[in-house]
Amino acid sequence: MEKSVEPPGDDFKIRCPRLGHQIFFSYCVIESDGNPCFKILDCWHQYFEVETYLKTHLNSEQWDKLVNRPPKPKVLSLVELIEQAKKRKKEAE
Amino acid sequence: MEPKKIVLPESEIPRQWYNILPDMPTPLEPPLHPGTGQPVGPDDLSPIFPMPLIEQEVSQDRWIDIPEEILEKYLIWRPTPLYRAYNLERYLETPAKIYFKNEGVSPAGSHKPNTAIAQAYYNKISGTKRITTETGAGQWGSALSFCCSLFGIECKVFMVKVSYNQKPYRRIMMETWGATCVASPSDETEAGRKILAENPDSPGSLGIAISEAVEAAVADEDTKYSLGSVLNHVMLHQTINGLETQKQMALVGDYPDVIIGCAGGGSNFAGNALPFVRDKINGKDIDIIAVEPASCPTMTRGPFAYDFGDTVGMTPLLPMHTLGHSFVPEPIHAGGLRYHGMAPIISQLVMDGLIRPVAISQLETFKAGITFARTEGFISAPETDHAVAMAIREALKAKEEGKEKTILFNWSGHGLVDMAAYEAYLHGKLADHELPSEEVERALKDIEPLPKPKQAQK
Repeated sequence: MEKSVEPPGDDFKIRCPRLGHQIFFSYCVIESDGNPCFKILDCWHQYFEVETYLKTHLNSEQWDKLVNRPPKPKVLSLVELIEQAKKRKKEAE
Repeated sequence: MEPKKIVLPESEIPRQWYNILPDMPTPLEPPLHPGTGQPVGPDDLSPIFPMPLIEQEVSQDRWIDIPEEILEKYLIWRPTPLYRAYNLERYLETPAKIYFKNEGVSPAGSHKPNTAIAQAYYNKISGTKRITTETGAGQWGSALSFCCSLFGIECKVFMVKVSYNQKPYRRIMMETWGATCVASPSDETEAGRKILAENPDSPGSLGIAISEAVEAAVADEDTKYSLGSVLNHVMLHQTINGLETQKQMALVGDYPDVIIGCAGGGSNFAGNALPFVRDKINGKDIDIIAVEPASCPTMTRGPFAYDFGDTVGMTPLLPMHTLGHSFVPEPIHAGGLRYHGMAPIISQLVMDGLIRPVAISQLETFKAGITFARTEGFISAPETDHAVAMAIREALKAKEEGKEKTILFNWSGHGLVDMAAYEAYLHGKLADHELPSEEVERALKDIEPLPKPKQAQK
């Protein structure tokens, strides 16, 4: 069976390993602050030509960010979030 | 009659957690602060974590005492039973013995309270009044809500809005345990308000929810934040699972040849496996398999042939279902996506060759979950089905090879509030797709010159 190059509609859901429930493609494609979730290729590869679709619909910077973004240790992400929160707190005061 | 459940008496519950950090062949590199370039220190994390947890995060003590107050709460559901899966063994007609550790008997239905209890306790003795966290479907949020209620701490859960709308039962569980559950993005934080100002209909994301939970902790000195996976102290607390299992296996005079767990962030896998990884470091011959929830084309469509176990041809030739050792689905190539979000301890142990990662497709996992439910009775959480599927693969491999093997897997939680996923599978809404034939042919050319196993020549 040939895989479609178009994504399925919102009535087709697959299990999201991060959220822990069924989700549709149009969510995955904007999950990360308007950009695709980093798992999007892994999760949707089986159901349609997601790589071809994203290469067509993302600009080169977005595509590069998706496939070449180095994983960031969780502790560092938390430290960054703490710093951002401190900054927001200061601005609010 | 052979015992079905191997039950450890409460008096035998482990009194210490096992910390693998001092035993790791390759020590973990400390993360460097993005601003200073120096290793992240206690002060960097103290706005969101209580000091005892920060100390555990970096501790090099091999054994850490479990406080009596935590043990007392653990006894609500621990020690958890270890089961022998006789019915599944008979169904598969395998010579393998299959054991599973049932972590689904906790009040929240999963392994997650193992660390939530500890985190709630250390926050309590540190003076924390409120704990915040983020959650998707709510498995972690419900575990933390339950444990905060036991220690009289307020719990606020920022639940991703798309999940909040789709998963009311977990939300109601959280509220039943006294937590406040808000849809994220919310108007309770600057981070949430900014998102809502730009997009009032934002469905939210885990990234936004964690920003809100951290901000709420930073904004109030009586509030701390809690994370249910990835971090070292979470792995530590989970090891009570594997330590119990070792005692239970000893009770029946057995020891696993293969240990299997599903690995998303790594905590349930670590909990059962790390005490056995210690044995492996000390010379035991065990195959420890971390199963990933990745939707990659399955290798099982390939012929049963001799092939290398890796893509560079360094391992011995092994008989296996294979599309050729050069075949790696493209998303797996892409920039280390595979270990994004995985606990550093687990990633390092994979790199050191102590843990073997395997990816199994969604459809195979649901098929396995159905088989397990119809033989052993329990309906697994969809994540847990990954471990079930791998256990079935290993049991069938033992049958093909005519080997008696002892397989242990971690049954990390039930799926009783995840039935929508089963419905989609049972009603055929999850379609499978064949690989393009030219891709299969290209991959198989690589294994043409290799010898053929006897079973393939029949």
